[in-house]
Amino acid sequence: MKYYLAVLLVLGNLIFSEGQGYEDRRCKCVCPSLSSVTNRTDPLHTAHIRNISNVPPNKCNCQEVILPAIQGELKEKAQEFCPRCECKYEHRNTTIIQVVVIIVIWVISILVIYMAFLIILDPLLNKKIKGNYQEHTNEDDEAMAGPMSHNMSVRGNVLNRVGHQQDKWKRQVKEQRRNIYDRHTMLN
Amino acid sequence: MEKYPLKRTGLSSPHNSPTYQAVNKKYTNGSRATYTANDDMIDISTSGSGTAGGDRSARLGEDEDGLSHYSVAFGGGVQESADIPGIGQYDDFHTIDWQRDIARDRMRHRYIVKRKQDSIWNLLEGAHDAWSGWLCVLAVGLVTGAVAGVIDIGASWMTDLKFGICPQAFWLNQEQCCWSFNDFDTGNCTQWLTWAQVLGTSKTGAGGYIISYLFYVVWALLFAALSASLVRMFAPYACGSGIPEIKTILSGFIIRGYLGKWTLIIKSVGLILSVSAGLSLGKEGPMVHIACAIGNILSYLFPKYGRNEAKKREILSASAAAGVSVAFGAPIGGVLFSLEEVSYYFPLKTLWRSFFCALIAAFILRSINPFGNEHSVLFYVEYNKPWIFFELIPFIGLGIIGGVIATIFIKANLYWCRYRKFSKLGQYPVTEVLVVTALTAVIAYPNPYTRMNTSQLIYLLFSQCSISNSDNLCDYNRNFTDVKSAIDIAPAGPGVYEAIWQLMLALVVKLVMTIFTFGMKVPCGLFIPSLCLGAITGRIVGIGMEQLAYNYPKMWFFSGECSTSDDCITPGLYAMVGAAAVLGGVTRMTVSLVVIMFELTGGVRYIVPLMAAAMASKWVGDALGRQGIYDAHIALNGYPFLDSKDEFQHTSLAADVMQPKRNETLSVITQDSMTVDDIEALLKDTEHNGYPVVVSRESQYLVGFVLRKEVNLAIANAKRMVDGICGQSLVIFTSGNPPQTLGPPPLKLKKILDMAPITITDQTPMETVVDMFRKLGLRQTLVTHNGRLLGVITKKDVLRHIKQMDNEDPNSVLFN
Repeated sequence: MKYYLAVLLVLGNLIFSEGQGYEDRRCKCVCPSLSSVTNRTDPLHTAHIRNISNVPPNKCNCQEVILPAIQGELKEKAQEFCPRCECKYEHRNTTIIQVVVIIVIWVISILVIYMAFLIILDPLLNKKIKGNYQEHTNEDDEAMAGPMSHNMSVRGNVLNRVGHQQDKWKRQVKEQRRNIYDRHTMLN
Repeated sequence: MEKYPLKRTGLSSPHNSPTYQAVNKKYTNGSRATYTANDDMIDISTSGSGTAGGDRSARLGEDEDGLSHYSVAFGGGVQESADIPGIGQYDDFHTIDWQRDIARDRMRHRYIVKRKQDSIWNLLEGAHDAWSGWLCVLAVGLVTGAVAGVIDIGASWMTDLKFGICPQAFWLNQEQCCWSFNDFDTGNCTQWLTWAQVLGTSKTGAGGYIISYLFYVVWALLFAALSASLVRMFAPYACGSGIPEIKTILSGFIIRGYLGKWTLIIKSVGLILSVSAGLSLGKEGPMVHIACAIGNILSYLFPKYGRNEAKKREILSASAAAGVSVAFGAPIGGVLFSLEEVSYYFPLKTLWRSFFCALIAAFILRSINPFGNEHSVLFYVEYNKPWIFFELIPFIGLGIIGGVIATIFIKANLYWCRYRKFSKLGQYPVTEVLVVTALTAVIAYPNPYTRMNTSQLIYLLFSQCSISNSDNLCDYNRNFTDVKSAIDIAPAGPGVYEAIWQLMLALVVKLVMTIFTFGMKVPCGLFIPSLCLGAITGRIVGIGMEQLAYNYPKMWFFSGECSTSDDCITPGLYAMVGAAAVLGGVTRMTVSLVVIMFELTGGVRYIVPLMAAAMASKWVGDALGRQGIYDAHIALNGYPFLDSKDEFQHTSLAADVMQPKRNETLSVITQDSMTVDDIEALLKDTEHNGYPVVVSRESQYLVGFVLRKEVNLAIANAKRMVDGICGQSLVIFTSGNPPQTLGPPPLKLKKILDMAPITITDQTPMETVVDMFRKLGLRQTLVTHNGRLLGVITKKDVLRHIKQMDNEDPNSVLFN
């Protein structure tokens, strides 16, 4: 329970805090440790150098990004050091990612809710109005006939038609389920 | 013996020659196009004056011919009210008749061309019809690219959800979360919180490890359970890879709902979930299914394709190309994949459309930039290292290993799938998914190479060690004294040996897990797992070769090229070749595979190594086991797929295969002597899908062929629409006028009669017959002897015969 609360709290925080510091372009430079040219072994010199900065694309290179920071350490060996570095200018679009992920979450939630509805509530509802549905059972070809279905609309309002479509869809899924899960004739 | 021998031949020349000119003539004057079948019928029956009708009856007959073809061509099209709905459509699990559908399209096209001159509107309609194919593939490309982008982004986000969360922007995955911060790939980026950190424990140490482990397993189970239950609840057809079924559908089979809306939605969502669950599966194969579903749905916007199953398959071929194009960021590879692997009927026009469709889809996905690496696949690598001639030998060796691994995989997977099909295991699809997921997650977590996303692992194995790569795999004892050489060959450090052990374990785990995973009831493809298996093998071999070259640079076969210790052996290249070898062995692709692989690496330099490996792997695979995984699954499911790659090597004749066998009678319909009751009784007693129409029972001279479904529809329609049709009405398939009788009015069914069925003689060798079925896309052919009808050969008979000849169970063919 404590875990769930924590997760919920985190999620709550997420929604209200805008993502700051998530820029859409970067200049990423990776260099070997300074020791490769200076041959010194103190900690500062043995770590790899990674640098992310927000500079214009034409300035995204070792001379502009890395050297000013480490000039003091390198001294005259700067020209030896730079060819080792890899600098890449990259960009991305966080807005698209945000929109897509939110859409995905929505779609999954809606599907899950609908699934829950079909599993839990629908059998209860169907019990009451079962009689209504039986008269429509042999109209398999209706969707194929296309315009023909307009004629059927006299029977009821939009809600009824949606219910009818849903019923037909359910039958199709049931048939698919029988093919795959019971008879194992397909998609093994 | 013959009923009206002279009458028939005499009349048939003006009446029964439905040349296209007749139709053209008819529609040059637009006023007559408003005739309805009903009017015509009454007109003829009242003016009926026997055989000596002369000019007038001939003209009427001609008109009727024209109209009949027009109605067939439209099959529930514009003039639906005047026609029988449902003509030209097929039932579930039936094969299509390519010739008939293509003829229908030709008639429709002629009609539109003729009408062009009538008005501006018709001209516009004609123009729209002409470019609707391109428009349709454009739409397919756009939508496929967008859907692929959604799947890529969704899957990469959800995969990382197993490890932790980015609190300030929950929609970012781990890499994107740490994207603009300096500590991006050291694994301790402060922006990204693992679940252990979220719960307040430290990230390192036993407690943190156990919590992370637990969260990993729980998330994996949750995703897999969701995926499996969504598939089970909403669209069972969304499970599996879909490529065997797409192949069957493209060869002319109808599976209703397989490419529908719900399948599309559930396959996309289920794919995201099952990839994120960390199962050993990929999203590339299902992407082909998704693209084809998009193609199918969009083709309904264009009646030219939506209403004609044969034409629709042209769009589906292009969609399959777009699917591979977005899956691998390889447009050309996609086109070739469609041509080599999935398509059955692939004219040049379709090739260009596939090209265009693949281009659009790749462009859209590339502009979405789902991975933030400016490419449409995660494991895009750029290579520009040379390879030396001697390396061809290890490459071919990799091909052989790849073929062996692929054969093991295919055999084991087939065995398991067959076991699932025929045992109790098949009754617990969701439980099976959960058990496999739990096992995969529990086994995968401790090993860093199985814990990470498979695409990321492939990327790691493909890429060469550079300064930015801090994985164990690149733990070489390099010294950077020489400024000029970028990355030189170096002795492997302890990290590399550790990585090799872990990779070997990962290879075994992945192989075993993939065998059990492929075929489960969740969306799952096998491109990524097989690429991964190959990449692991290749990388291990590559490291071995590299160390060999480092330790003995003077050996003759390195021909001195390794003595400069630069640009000698690149293990990443071996990984790529190995990946191509295993994938080639599993799917038996060759050309498309090589093109996909070199589009992935952006270099044409490696075509020869890739070709050598793909070829070696295909040979080894073919020698050890006859079929690729897709063909094996088609055979397992018994889909009616007539493979155009196999040769028919037996010496049987058409007479041996033909139905009916000896001592049975052929069910036929006579052209003008059966009543509605007779035909209904025949339809009730027999289960054939079509009946030959003959002149009379005594002299079985062939007139044409009618389909069961269309006879049913036509009779039902006539009973509803035409007065006086009852059980005693004669059913007439000729265009002449019936002999005067006192009974009820006759039912004229000439318009549903196929007047040009393909016929062969009983002495035709089966080799020719099989060829005709493959190349013309026939659904059935009629067998004659001395010009008389003897029997029928359907596609099912051919397939059963082939199975029988190969000593397999002929009853396994799924067919109606």
